[in-house]
Amino acid sequence: MLLKKLLNKIYYLILGHFTVFKHSFKRAVTVEYPEKKVKLPERFRGKHVWNSNECVGCKICEKVCPVNAIHINKVEDNFEMQIELSKCIFCGNCQYSCLKHAIKMSNDFELAVLNKNDLNLNITSNEKKIEAKND
Amino acid sequence: MTDIMKINVGPQHPSTHGVLRLITELDGEKIISIKPEIGYLHRGLEKLAESKTYLQYLPLVDRVDYLGGFFTSYAFCNAVEHLLNIQTTKRTEYIRTLCMELNRIASHLLWLGTYMLDLGASSPIFYTFRERESILALFEELTGQRMMYNYFTFGGVRFDVDNNWLDKVNDFLNILPKAIGNYEKIITNNAIFIDRTKNKGILTKSFCSKYAITGPNMRASGLEIDFRQKMPYSAYNELGFVVSVNNLSDSYGRYLVRIQEMRTSIDLIKQCIMFLKQNKDNVSCNINPIKLKIPQGEYTSYVESSRGLLCCYIQSDGSEKPYRVKWRTGSFYAVQVLPELVIGQNYNDLIAIFGSLDVILPEVDR
Repeated sequence: MLLKKLLNKIYYLILGHFTVFKHSFKRAVTVEYPEKKVKLPERFRGKHVWNSNECVGCKICEKVCPVNAIHINKVEDNFEMQIELSKCIFCGNCQYSCLKHAIKMSNDFELAVLNKNDLNLNITSNEKKIEAKND
Repeated sequence: MTDIMKINVGPQHPSTHGVLRLITELDGEKIISIKPEIGYLHRGLEKLAESKTYLQYLPLVDRVDYLGGFFTSYAFCNAVEHLLNIQTTKRTEYIRTLCMELNRIASHLLWLGTYMLDLGASSPIFYTFRERESILALFEELTGQRMMYNYFTFGGVRFDVDNNWLDKVNDFLNILPKAIGNYEKIITNNAIFIDRTKNKGILTKSFCSKYAITGPNMRASGLEIDFRQKMPYSAYNELGFVVSVNNLSDSYGRYLVRIQEMRTSIDLIKQCIMFLKQNKDNVSCNINPIKLKIPQGEYTSYVESSRGLLCCYIQSDGSEKPYRVKWRTGSFYAVQVLPELVIGQNYNDLIAIFGSLDVILPEVDR
């Protein structure tokens, strides 16, 4: 009886080890990040892209932001958008609430900067399709 | 009798699944008293609600339980919908059910991997994370993010699901049972695992009722209570499933219940996919969430989350902001019962028992 129990234990230990061993021949599921990147889906919520020509200054994005990261100001004939990415939680409320689809979230997720102030984006141009870039 | 030694387990301890501090008194290796100290991850999510509009609070709801964002999201949206007295479409509810069940699998997979790591087995976490990664990729494609979804809205969901996505879910569900079989080959009959979990941390029925334990922890004690079946919400009243339950009451029983629950979830998702492929309907309601004013009243919604009963209480005073929001989460009660389970046990069983309760601290502290 004791021997049977012992053999049973050994059998399941070997079975477990064999199951783990089988994985040695499988392909890797991870990606070596900086060199290779995974393809991000269309709906991914990364850094904001703002189209000033579409914006009508209704300030809905300001109202729905849970962390008050967005500010829309009027500068002469145009609008200026200030967004603090260090505050932003990337919930997408601004994007989903914008009636004119002026604010969109891009696939850009690499937001590391050396200076924290670089994360406060200030976008004031009236060119068509302005991308929010911090360089 | 040796001198009594007082040690702190945590708050910065990898096995406490967050920041839980356990003030433990040891007599040799034996635990003679233990006091859980919570609050290290308190973010004031209940008080925060009072200063935000309903739409502003919606993304923050996912952070109550970051491994089950869909459950908390559903509880909050459901409470708001009841207060507004709006009806959601059937398709919406099936999409929500599908998301919640996938979320349950993801949550249980993470628990399984980390629990085995607590016990000293380092292989399973790689396999469970591999499968969890597939689920998170599906969520990312559907919602835009991996954990903080912000996908359910008041009266609907943000995007409709397409057949392409449903096919991907189906493909994943076809490989998942085999993967679960593989975990079981490594774990279920493993002699070391059995030694460390069988008859350890006995959670009796009386403890369950005394400490209001719910979820898989309770079902492993022989109490067949599943709110998906007892008080069906969402689309569960139209879906057929068997509640996983056993009478072992120990850590091993809790492991078996969770494994079984993953299999149940697979069946439920398959039923949802069948429905969603046949029925086309609207997935949003005609309400403007930006100027949402909720009539005076109060409501408590409930969800059977992966860690037990999750309730969301909302009291509205008729303004744009909630007057009071209260969360009831399963983990909070599981932490309170810990002293009953570990006093008198060996110190090295502490983490093995605590891990089996599937506690995550953001849910405890909120």
